[in-house]
Amino acid sequence: MLPINSKRRELKAREAILRGVYEDNLKIIGGQSAAPDWRIPLFVKKMILFYSVLLLTILGQGSYLDLPLFPERQMAAGIITQEQQPLSPPEADENQITSSDYQEFLGSAPLSRMFGLGVKTIMIDAGHGGDDPGTAGKMGTKEKDITLDIAKKLKERLKRRGSYNIIMTREEDITLPLNKRVELARASKADIFISIHLNYLPSKPINIIETYYFGPSSDVKTLRLAEQENAGSQYGLSDFKDIIEKMGKTLKLQESKELAASIQKNLFINSKKKNNSIHNLGIKRAPFVVLLGVDIPAVLAEVSCLSNRQEEIELSFESHRENIARYIEAGILDYLNKGDTNYEAKRNTGRR
Amino acid sequence: MKQKETQEEGNILFVGIDLGTSRSSISASNGTRQWIESYVGWPKDFISLQVVGKPVLFGADALKHRLSLDLCRPLEHGVIKEGVEKNEEAVKEIIKYLIELAKPEPEQKIYAVVGVPADTLKVNKLAIRRAVSEFAHSLMVVSEPFAVAYGLNLLNNSLVIDIGAGTTDLCIMHGAIPSEEDQKTIVNAGDYIDEQLYSYLTEKFPNSKFNKNMVRQFKEKYSFVREIAGDIRVEIPVDGKPVMHDIKNEVKRACESILPALIETTTEMIARFDPEFQTKIKNNIVLAGGGSLIRGLSEYLRDALKEYGPCNVTCVEDPLFAGSNGALKLAQDMPAKYWEPLQEVKS
Repeated sequence: MLPINSKRRELKAREAILRGVYEDNLKIIGGQSAAPDWRIPLFVKKMILFYSVLLLTILGQGSYLDLPLFPERQMAAGIITQEQQPLSPPEADENQITSSDYQEFLGSAPLSRMFGLGVKTIMIDAGHGGDDPGTAGKMGTKEKDITLDIAKKLKERLKRRGSYNIIMTREEDITLPLNKRVELARASKADIFISIHLNYLPSKPINIIETYYFGPSSDVKTLRLAEQENAGSQYGLSDFKDIIEKMGKTLKLQESKELAASIQKNLFINSKKKNNSIHNLGIKRAPFVVLLGVDIPAVLAEVSCLSNRQEEIELSFESHRENIARYIEAGILDYLNKGDTNYEAKRNTGRR
Repeated sequence: MKQKETQEEGNILFVGIDLGTSRSSISASNGTRQWIESYVGWPKDFISLQVVGKPVLFGADALKHRLSLDLCRPLEHGVIKEGVEKNEEAVKEIIKYLIELAKPEPEQKIYAVVGVPADTLKVNKLAIRRAVSEFAHSLMVVSEPFAVAYGLNLLNNSLVIDIGAGTTDLCIMHGAIPSEEDQKTIVNAGDYIDEQLYSYLTEKFPNSKFNKNMVRQFKEKYSFVREIAGDIRVEIPVDGKPVMHDIKNEVKRACESILPALIETTTEMIARFDPEFQTKIKNNIVLAGGGSLIRGLSEYLRDALKEYGPCNVTCVEDPLFAGSNGALKLAQDMPAKYWEPLQEVKS
């Protein structure tokens, strides 16, 4: 192909190319692994160090650390769980789940009851929809269909109670961006907001249940999940500043947390009776846009796990979906009626 | 040290993989050459699982049973769509299956070079890495036309045009690893020809029943540009009865539909290159990918570029394996010290 006298030149070119391919790939994976001749110049290191110190100083002096969202003192007291908070077993005292100074102040009744505000409107958000199928199982079950069905069932159940006004973000298979959902929740003056989703764990064959409420998270997995769920939000970075300020409403945070705990508890304990291998990942904080945009107590429940083959089969049965709706309903009612002795009595005698 | 290296080498299986929109192929250092159509299918429900008898099907097998499967062509437009886990899963299955086809020894380490469309490389290198890393001990991702060029020893002053299904990739080689500037991707390629042909045929024969798959087969069998002798007649059912149809004009029109963009990009890329070397590049244009099988294409290009001076256009001999062979060559030439830092931690 090439004349022999240019062999040397070709060899050299080849070497350069091979090296280029290697460096290119090193860049893809993040690059800092020990390469033969790969060094960051000293001045760059120094600059990075300088800027990180500068950044830390600025942040430390600003209001960042004093934001009511992450109060150091409260964190230490264990009010806000950063990672996860496995729920207490069924027989444990309810108060243990959410015990805090704050809680003592409020007593065991939720805020709404204390001020006699009564929850009238519940908004149910079926995750994804339309062009956005959410995750999908191996046999093609789509998240959007399952969440919609569970949401509808939940709506029917709550309606039968007679005392609540139930609104859904979507009742059909339509595309609905996250910011639209938030707008709907605001416009409808809903009192609580529940978003239903399904989990997907590509690498593990287990089945888990977890419930999120809004808050900053340091857990990488949670952040990744949040990124996925937030993908349709159309919120810019600048909007986030506004939103973060809103989060100053610690009351909302606290209420959301209790609602999340109540739903998670009911979902998990009841699902466990049917399927012993289910895992309880507890309640977690995560920056989901749907949760943070609304001013009312809002939670996002990952009620099942579509990557689990067995669970995907189960989800195809109406009865299983109905059960999930029933557990969520129980969680909502528990939260709303907490401290109501009549309800407690009824619940203890009337249900298994 | 030297001895240790050779010892290790015996325990390593080098593979070159060409991850294409339509077909994916693998070439391994143990001599295996295999290809599959880049389709992955999962049974739709329990009945179809009974019918096909496998939890996942590939290539022609998957196409055959497509009515009972959820069919996925994971690199539809040359990229894994970010965040669509099913597509990533499908890429994983294809890679897993291809590596199984290469029949590695149980103890052997697998060092893989994977060629992907040039645009994929820019958009989601990481997604591809994630998909492949489970099945290879060390791994490099390169752009497809570059792998072809490397395999053909066209390291200097050449232009590779790789006409695939999802994309047409152009890559100028100038003795170094091609930068982003040296690579261009056009989204009109084989699939686009299929679409055009389908719409032309529906227009001409509104009563005849045919599907995308049949149209693709017509294209693969009869594609041509410029002129050929004789008619192209195919059998298409009309009201259930097989009827012969003449589709020559439609095939020609469909195949030529990708050419204006191709020629424009080619001239643009050559013109941007150092003027001193432009003549050399024009004499070293290579067509690769399934599109290079279109009859008359190299002549058409030569004529179209005539006004820019004489040029020489050739086609690769084995378009199906040109990419994977090049990737394999790259893998085998790669010094061991470059492989090690890229090793994946096996879980």
